[in-house]
Parts: sequence; structure tokens; C-alpha cells
Amino acid sequence: MPTLTKDVVPGLIATGASCRIDEDVAPKFKPGDAVVTRNINPVTHTRLPRYVRGKRGVVERDHGVFAFPDTSAHGGGEKPQHVYSVKFSFQELWGEDHAGNMYLYIDMFDDYMRPAS
Amino acid sequence: MNGIHDLGGMDGIGPINPEENEPVFHSEWEKRMFGMFISCFAGGHYNVDEFRHAIERMDPAHYLESSYYEHWLSSLETLLVEKGVVTREELDERKKFVAMEDA
Amino acid sequence: MAHVHDHDHPHNKPLSDVELRVKALESVLTEKDLIDAEAIDLIVETFETRIGPRNGAKVVARAWTDPDYKKRLLENATDAIAELGFSGVQGEDMIVVENTDAVHNIVVCTLCSCYPWPTLGLPPVWYKAAPYRSKVVKDPRGVLDEFGVSLPEDTEIRVWDSNAELRYLVLPRRPDGTDGMSEGELAAIVTRDSMIGTGLAGAS
Repeated sequence: MPTLTKDVVPGLIATGASCRIDEDVAPKFKPGDAVVTRNINPVTHTRLPRYVRGKRGVVERDHGVFAFPDTSAHGGGEKPQHVYSVKFSFQELWGEDHAGNMYLYIDMFDDYMRPAS
Repeated sequence: MNGIHDLGGMDGIGPINPEENEPVFHSEWEKRMFGMFISCFAGGHYNVDEFRHAIERMDPAHYLESSYYEHWLSSLETLLVEKGVVTREELDERKKFVAMEDA
Repeated sequence: MAHVHDHDHPHNKPLSDVELRVKALESVLTEKDLIDAEAIDLIVETFETRIGPRNGAKVVARAWTDPDYKKRLLENATDAIAELGFSGVQGEDMIVVENTDAVHNIVVCTLCSCYPWPTLGLPPVWYKAAPYRSKVVKDPRGVLDEFGVSLPEDTEIRVWDSNAELRYLVLPRRPDGTDGMSEGELAAIVTRDSMIGTGLAGAS
């Protein structure tokens, strides 16, 4: 029998499947921390887009612990870790000729960042 | 992977062209595709990260030319074949049969 | 072998390659008893009739009229949205960002098509396509131009790239001159694009 039958559909759609993990993992960063994103170029799956690699940003918010897509996509397990909203200026991302009042917010996993020194 | 899907910041891709009063689905096959995606996800045949990565592995030129539900179709075929749920031959044979019946 | 012929299909043109592949896949999966056609019908019906931007508009109208609700929405969007009965697939972990006189927010998913389904429904084609995804993180004002939206130079622009499993909804600015409007009337002027950030509420 198929897993998803008609009677299961409403509950499934209304509940979904959160990738949030209820596990006590220590955060490596906290709001206000200055960070640099890692310059990684795996040939496998990653949710770290090229345009934010090696850029300086500031942690704005800790979203909690989630499964790590880079391992989860390849049978490597969930590798639970914190995800943060991180703020980057357009001048940092695209150059100093960009307006100073434009910002990019993106969600970064612990493994995508290191502290800015 | 540094694939075609990683589009942020590329220039010259073209106009956005929003469609007025766009329907939820544009054709019958998109509806079936969407339903199969949800059904197979619920069936535990893949996780969302595997699904996204299978889209990223599409031929890059075709990725840009095809609609999003075709990306989903491509990903679903790829994963179900890789995980041994179906074979490529089964899908190809059935496609020929459907085409013959349609003719 | 499962019968796969669709009698509703008009015979003036042959099925496209994509249509053939979808029918073949559905036929094989049905034969293996891995999918249920009635379940698929119900999924489609649900997203065509019950889940869409009218849901998000109700959230916005409530936030505009109830300051306590707005506070809860900005602090814990998932729970506040669930208060109105909207939850589930692709809205499991929600964040709401507020537009003000000084700040305008825009949401994108540069890597694929992440979008808050329970409040906005399935994304429009342009949201999933390359032109929007490539441009909005580098030239959001140019994108707003394409949507006919012009903001003062001193408005701060915040672009949210939803690359992880958080889903973003924009709380648009309540238009001037709407003081006497009821929650229901307000919901009617909240457009889908105003909750993505490519439009403004009250502007059609």
C-alpha cells in the first residue's frame, strides 16, 4: 500500500516535516558576532551560495539546531548544528559602489562560518 | 557544487516577466508531478537535500530552459532510479507504451 | 499493465516528451503500489483551493489591527501563524519581517524555490525562474522597477535569501488612508507580491 493515502493527506500537509532537530548542540556563534564565511567549493551539495563565500557579515539571530544539508544530501547523516541569520552589506558582497543602505540576510550553518579576526 | 542552480548575482539572465492572474498549475502534468513529489517524499524514498541535489545535477543548459516542475520530474526520476525503486528501462519502456497508446 | 490512456486528452496534438515521462512515471509507481491517485488528487485540490496568498493576507490584516498579535508574529511567526490555522509543509519554521517607512524587505531563494506554502501557496513561475533569483540579491531596486515599485533612495533594502529551512513572509506596510477599514477589508488589499516584497499592499 502507498504510504500516502487520501486519508493521510490533510494531516501531512498541515503538519509538514520540520528539519529542526531537538538536540542540545552548543552554538559556535551568538548574535552580534562578526563572522567570515568559509571559501569552500565542494563538488557535492551545499547551501552556501558562491556569492557569500569568503565574505564578512554579522550574526543577527540564532534560529536553533537543524540538519546539515551538505551531509544529509549524501547519506552522511544530519550532523545537527545551529543555523543563524547573518547580515551582509551589499558593499561587502558586490563592491563599494553599491548603496550603503542595502543588506543581504542569509541563513548560515555553523560549518559555513569562522569568527572574523 | 558550483552548479547552474547557484544563480545569485549573475547578470543578463533576462526579464522577470510576472504572469497576470497566474493559475496554481499550468497544466495537468504539473498537477500529477506535484502530487507524486509529495507522495514519494512521504514514502521516505529521499530527503529534501537529496531531492535538491538531484536537480543540481541536471544538464546545465537544460536546467535554464526547462520549467521548475520539469526540474522536479528530472530529480524524481534520477533518485528513484538511483535508489532502485524503478529502473531507467522500466521508465523508458512505459514511456514508449504511453506514446503508442496516445498515437 | 496499468491503463494509462487519458480520455480527456484532445487528440489534436501528441503528448509532449515531458507529459509522456510524467505519465510513464505515474503508471510505473501506481503499478508498484507506491502512489495513490486519489491522494494526489486531494493534494492538488488542496493547493488549488485551500492554500494560497489569501491565507497570508489574513495574517497580515490581523497584524495590522491587533498589536499584540503583531508582536507575537514578529517574535515567533510559526506559532502566531498557526493561531489562524495555517501550518505545515514548507512553513514548518517561519520568520516574518516587517516593512516600515524606513525599511523594505524582499524574499528570494537563489538556490532553488523555497517559499512559505501555508501562507502564500505554491510560488509563481517567476519566483522559481533564473531572472528573479539571479538579480534580486544584487540589484533589488532594479527588480522592484520591473514590478513597477519605486522606493525613496533613503529606504533601507533588506533581501532575504531563504537558503536553509526557514521560510520568510514579509509583513507589508499598512497603506495610508486605511484607518477605518475592517480586518476583512484590509485582507483584501494585501497582495501576494506585497508579502514577497516585490509589491506594496493596496497597490494592484
